[in-house]
Amino acid sequence: MRRPKSLTPLFFLLPALVLMVPFVIYPVFKTIYLSFFLDGKFVGLENYKEVLLSPDIVNLDRFPTKSPPWGALIHNIVWIAIHLPATVFLGLGIALLLRREEVKGSSIVKSIIFLGMVIPMIVGGLIIRFLFEEGAGVIPAIFKLLGIERLAITWTAYPETALFAAILGSIWIWTGFSMLMYSAGLASIPKDYYEAALIDGANKFQIFKNVTWPLLKPITVVVVAMTLLWDLKIFDVVYVATGGGPGGASMVLALKMWDYFARALNYNYAAVVAVLLTALTLIPALWLIRRRE
Amino acid sequence: MDVKKVLLGLFLVGVLGIAVVASGCIGGQQTATPTTVTQKETVTETKPVEQVTLKVIGPWSGAELDAFMEVIKAFEAQHPNIKVEYKTYRAEDLSTILPLQFESGDTPADVIAMWGWFIAEMGQKGHLMEFNEVINPDEYVPGILDTVTADGKIYGVPFTAAAKPGFWYRKSFFEKHGLKPPETWDEFVALLEKIKQIPGVKAPIVSGDSVGWPLSDVTEHFILTFGGKDLQLKLINGEVKWEDPQVRSIFEQRLVPLLKAGYFSDPIEWTSAVDLWWKGDYALYFMGTWITGMVDDPTDLGLISLPGVKAMVLAPDYFMVPKYTSHPKEAMELAKFLATEGQRIHVGTKSGKLATWKKVSIDDYWEPMKDVAKVVANVESAPDLDDSVGGEWQKTFWDQLKLLWVQPNRLDDVLSTLDAKFPKK
Repeated sequence: MRRPKSLTPLFFLLPALVLMVPFVIYPVFKTIYLSFFLDGKFVGLENYKEVLLSPDIVNLDRFPTKSPPWGALIHNIVWIAIHLPATVFLGLGIALLLRREEVKGSSIVKSIIFLGMVIPMIVGGLIIRFLFEEGAGVIPAIFKLLGIERLAITWTAYPETALFAAILGSIWIWTGFSMLMYSAGLASIPKDYYEAALIDGANKFQIFKNVTWPLLKPITVVVVAMTLLWDLKIFDVVYVATGGGPGGASMVLALKMWDYFARALNYNYAAVVAVLLTALTLIPALWLIRRRE
Repeated sequence: MDVKKVLLGLFLVGVLGIAVVASGCIGGQQTATPTTVTQKETVTETKPVEQVTLKVIGPWSGAELDAFMEVIKAFEAQHPNIKVEYKTYRAEDLSTILPLQFESGDTPADVIAMWGWFIAEMGQKGHLMEFNEVINPDEYVPGILDTVTADGKIYGVPFTAAAKPGFWYRKSFFEKHGLKPPETWDEFVALLEKIKQIPGVKAPIVSGDSVGWPLSDVTEHFILTFGGKDLQLKLINGEVKWEDPQVRSIFEQRLVPLLKAGYFSDPIEWTSAVDLWWKGDYALYFMGTWITGMVDDPTDLGLISLPGVKAMVLAPDYFMVPKYTSHPKEAMELAKFLATEGQRIHVGTKSGKLATWKKVSIDDYWEPMKDVAKVVANVESAPDLDDSVGGEWQKTFWDQLKLLWVQPNRLDDVLSTLDAKFPKK
């Protein structure tokens, strides 16, 4: 018997669907379902209200006038505000600096920078922890050398510095990705464009502004979207480097979700944070998909 | 009938069928078929006929694991038909894995070491075997089973315990600098001031850091010294608030002044802190008895408890047996061994642990631990505060103490947060 032609794609989809339904689709809907229940009873949006009004998520009493904790959601936003531009422009800058073949050792330097991406995040978190520890870390040592005693401390131990230690450390981890993407993008720009611009009398800044930057736009879209996603779901680095402390000063949404789940054994609140996190990550993901289309 | 529609229908039914089966495997509690074994069988039948391999999960590695494996070897020697495979998992990681596995009627091991509060919680949910008829509660240090007991049912067995007896120092360091252990609070403060003046010493006391327990151990020692076991128990049960004047005064008059005076270092990763303290960067280190197994020369160790200490924390490791084990009889046998004769073997190794089973005598201990065991025997034992409360509050406690350590002027914030986050009954 011949199989109707229009059903053939469905048969090819079957193996993927068999895995997707129990391991992705079912858990997604179950998580959303759980977020509306508490102790087995339907509570509507009550869980969302409790979680969003908790100072652990948004603490407007302290933000922005006092030092952290500002709440996990605000910490994630601060993370994006610092980490996103820093990694995008650092990655671009390094890729531009090292793009020429005559730059000796450029591949070695690139490899070293990319190392942050290769190591497991847990190891990255540990390195950050020691990097900022007084007595063992290079960062406090540098500030001590400069005579800035206020910053020659264990950064991860103080509420004023813990969040920023984790963010700065993660810039090192993630810059390799941005640099690699921009390096590939730069390599794909035809040399003719630069030669034509030079013949027209354009200076270096004009060439960058009118040739390089516009042609790197698709790469920038990918880098920005991926970095946003990474920043929103950041967990391992914070878990290891600071544990979200001290006093919740470096808590982020993903870690708070884990706390609700594994410490409080409150699966409903954990589901609420998971749904919020998914909704937030969908924004850059959908934006990326649309831009690529 | 339209062939296309039939095929499409069959296809969807197939997908849904497989999905339902798979979902059942990962999520449905009702699909779980817990093995039921009567406690009587466990006690009476000690010789399994067939060769059985038991999986055990615990938090130990390195030297701690070596000490534990001595116990396992002894068990295997007594039970030739049982082989034990050990895996290391941190309790923090297990807390993520176990609830899901239990809900689906599965378990990663037959005998698992875990937090006491977690065991009680899982027991209440019906995932664990009961030990009421397996061990005799009268044979244990009073109160040690409270953490793993819920509604009169004992869901876990205690293994050996670490005591948190006070501040450790090197006798050679004290001799070199003409220091002597204090006998009053004023002498203790004077000692700290004297140590602070010694060139090369960064701070008199090194503060251990990890997820946060080293700081909670110090704090509990202050509570037990100046408030006693009764206050500790009331705090555990939520009968006394953290902002209560009695609790506040312990912080305000005892701990916070020491923090403000810079007698404690900033929190340093606790194993690195051992090395720094041992080489003389710091003079005192508050740590559990397991430190005896972490230093080069345990005979050089001295111990200073806060003068007037009334009780000390005794923090046991607990084992549980999930109902979903394939070998319930053998698993219960091993758990019983760990809770009894296994303790005698364990305290004889370099584990730095103390027995919770009262039938173990001082003579059974590893030589450097004999003095510690005598010190602990002379005071009341108290349950570990944060381990007993557990849950999200435990992490909050650790985290707030980290904050207090670097910003002692935020005591009000810390105490009010501890009250606000305390589990509501």
